[in-house]
Amino acid sequence: MTFKDIVSKIPSSTWEVTSERLIDIVLNSKNAKKMPSGLAKTILYYWQRDQLASEIGLQRLLEASMHIDPDKTAETLKDLGLQELTVLLESQ
Amino acid sequence: MTDFGIEFVPRDLYWKTTFYAIQAEKTGFNTLWITDHFNNRNVYVSLAIVSAYTDKIKFGPGVTNPYLIHPIVTGQAISTLNEIAPGRVVCGIGAGDRTTLQLVNVKPTRPLSTIREAVEIIRGISSGRKVKMEGRAFTVLGGKLNFKVESKVPIFIGAQGPKMLALAAEIGDGVLINASHPEDVARAMEFIKNGIIKAGKTKEDLTIATYTSLSVANKAEKAKKAAIPVVAYIVAGCPESILSKHGISMETATAIRHAIVQGRWKEAFSNITEEMIGAFSICGTPETVVEKISRLVSIGTTQIVVGSPIGPDIRKSINMIAAEVFPHFKTKEEFVGD
Repeated sequence: MTFKDIVSKIPSSTWEVTSERLIDIVLNSKNAKKMPSGLAKTILYYWQRDQLASEIGLQRLLEASMHIDPDKTAETLKDLGLQELTVLLESQ
Repeated sequence: MTDFGIEFVPRDLYWKTTFYAIQAEKTGFNTLWITDHFNNRNVYVSLAIVSAYTDKIKFGPGVTNPYLIHPIVTGQAISTLNEIAPGRVVCGIGAGDRTTLQLVNVKPTRPLSTIREAVEIIRGISSGRKVKMEGRAFTVLGGKLNFKVESKVPIFIGAQGPKMLALAAEIGDGVLINASHPEDVARAMEFIKNGIIKAGKTKEDLTIATYTSLSVANKAEKAKKAAIPVVAYIVAGCPESILSKHGISMETATAIRHAIVQGRWKEAFSNITEEMIGAFSICGTPETVVEKISRLVSIGTTQIVVGSPIGPDIRKSINMIAAEVFPHFKTKEEFVGD
């Protein structure tokens, strides 16, 4: 299952809050240096265009947060009531 | 209305600094300053990537120094940036951070003549002119860029002591007052006035920026905790004349400096007192920050630079400043962006 498929299961009403929480993980994680440079630049591209809370922005944020801190990402998704997504992410 | 600048230290990963830079632009900051220390990521590489992801915020080194970076190279770098982002580049220069220069055994000698000559070289080179100088600090036999320069880059001079403040006002397009306390800024204004008179300028010809150390959080204690490391560096590099005004001995400052140079961080930071934080930072809740900035603006500051640490969580603190501080100093159109 791709990040596109996974994000398509997130209700659009929670995109904004999900985006905010994933940004927090990415910026504040002690593992931030694990972020691939290409992915970082893609995220900057969408941030500059105010698209981090869009479907495509969320895909890249989720990819980054899984790369940097999968446990924290799973915990955050559970917090947001999206626990079914954690199972899908584990299969990544 | 008051302009707001923000300072980032490229100790952070490049994409984090760029993320915060985009955020600063979106939230209505006017100018972005990136510090120049050899032990962090390179300032011009950082600024180049920032320029690619922003459209209107002004930016520049804040501040570089002529002891480690020859002014002809600084002139070249800012001219190149000005080609990438025409009209958005500013250049901050100062006599350097003593603590960092000490690490490479560079002594900031003859700071006044060094800065005067450096500014002349940078201004000449970045204006596309051929520079010839036989000065006390620099000799340039005929330096000129091989590419065309389209617009002028304003030069801001970082200053703390009386003579440097006067010089900054005399030859700079802007002054970056290295202070956070209203009494220090009020004293600085007197020396700035002398420089303005000497140059035959008016106050309106000059941007007077107060380059603060600022830490904002919902809880004052969290803001203070974030400010301690930055205040330690400030105290370590502060001239005796200013330390004594705040009742801090040179011995204490020297001890902090030695601890920092030797990497004994815990010792350096444990010597930082409430009084030092009050003297050398704007620190606390948004209400406290508004009150302290109001005092600086009433003294004559035209740009407030929100310097490190900004807060315990940079992203949240930037949003907090935009939401709770800007409305007191900017019109709505100025801080909600286009």
